[in-house]
Amino acid sequence: MSADGRSLAQAFIELLAEDPEAESALAIARGRLAAGRRLGGLRRVRVFELAGALPSRAQVEELLHRSTRFYNPAKERCTVRAAEREPVPFKPEEALVLVLDRGLERRPAGERWWKHETGEKVEVREGTVWALAFEPGEDAAARAGELAEVKDRRHGLFANPHFQDWRAGEGAHPPWPWLERPRKRAKEDRP
Amino acid sequence: MSAARVAVVQFPGVNCEAETERALSRAGLEVEVFRWTRAPRELAAFDAYVLPGGFSWQDRVRAGALAAKDPMLDELAARAADGAPVLGICNGAQVLVEAGLVPGAGNTVRRGAARSAGAEDESVQVALARNRMPERTGYHTRWVWCRVEDTPCVFTRGLEPGTLLPLPVAHGEGRFASAKKGRVESLVAAGQAPLLYSRADGAIADSFPDNPNGSEAAAAALCNARGNVLALMPHPERAATLGQVSRSIGGAWGARRDRALAAGDGSAFGDGPGMAFFHGLAAHFGAPA
Repeated sequence: MSADGRSLAQAFIELLAEDPEAESALAIARGRLAAGRRLGGLRRVRVFELAGALPSRAQVEELLHRSTRFYNPAKERCTVRAAEREPVPFKPEEALVLVLDRGLERRPAGERWWKHETGEKVEVREGTVWALAFEPGEDAAARAGELAEVKDRRHGLFANPHFQDWRAGEGAHPPWPWLERPRKRAKEDRP
Repeated sequence: MSAARVAVVQFPGVNCEAETERALSRAGLEVEVFRWTRAPRELAAFDAYVLPGGFSWQDRVRAGALAAKDPMLDELAARAADGAPVLGICNGAQVLVEAGLVPGAGNTVRRGAARSAGAEDESVQVALARNRMPERTGYHTRWVWCRVEDTPCVFTRGLEPGTLLPLPVAHGEGRFASAKKGRVESLVAAGQAPLLYSRADGAIADSFPDNPNGSEAAAAALCNARGNVLALMPHPERAATLGQVSRSIGGAWGARRDRALAAGDGSAFGDGPGMAFFHGLAAHFGAPA
């Protein structure tokens, strides 16, 4: 349940096969960016956050599985988190970077489909989570922060701050909610 | 006088190298497709560079984001700092913006500090963000009108300010944007926007579809302050001949297309509006305008 009384669910979606996008990003981060030299593993997870009058967890899973608006069950797996205490597909040691396209997080097509199928109005947001596993001894949160935001060719990778926002998280406990929370950008934070 | 040598720099996923090569050759330039497997230092043997359109590295992470980190971009940045012309078309423009070459050194915001320190400012100052279009999202393609502005840009220097060019756009991430309010407008005011989206009558485009992606200040292209590096979202290589001009285009260009097609004598293979950029590059190296 979110702060305003609406039900909340997060759907984490990963490719079943190796993810070429994560493989390429890992190679670039390790080979070209100082903050990524000790990056041992990198995964990309799409995340949807649904807020509104949601049915049971099983029904949410079934609806997401049935629709083509969220993921392809033949190629991807989906983990639904319907309560804050429920398991998430991240390792405790992973540092998380959530990337959102500013002002374009909402997924109207998904919202329309949901309304058509259930009659209920829900808000659907989508972002991309990069899960970073660093070698032991590295300050994972600090290095993840350095990799999160592009500054120039040698610094940052995952979000271009001129149209994207990013939010940090820990694999042990990803924020709940995560996507609908507005991030305040400090003045000195801006490029 | 021998023709200038131009490298068409191809990363995996780029798919407009052949038509770009043809358009450059047509302008009398010596062209070679330079693939990602070659050593970046070999780029030094060329006089100018074009990064064509496509989907470098499948647009992984973000359009242009991975190619921007390639060692070839360090070499291109060095050559650009020496004054060599560099043109990025569509995905090539995304690479140049992500690499910080556009608006690049000597930009209007940090010009003083960067120059006094003798340093190149290669911070990423703008983005080519996802299109903002009413009632639709994603990839969008159409022919648009672009108005030439008064700038030091090498590629448009031969064109009178106010000239209207019909050109095709085809992208999902083509909206010039900045987190800093007014940044793109300031670049336009500083003469770093050689092309603005316009209506067919030449008025600046203020809405979709004339501005096809919601680009701030209607910017269709941005260049560095020196004018030798250009990030261009429309595809001039797809408008290299008259016969390629879309039936949706009227006005003088439409009339020329219709006459050429009706003549049936091969005149449809005459220069289209996109050739202006490639002739501009050739003129920079001394070819007659």
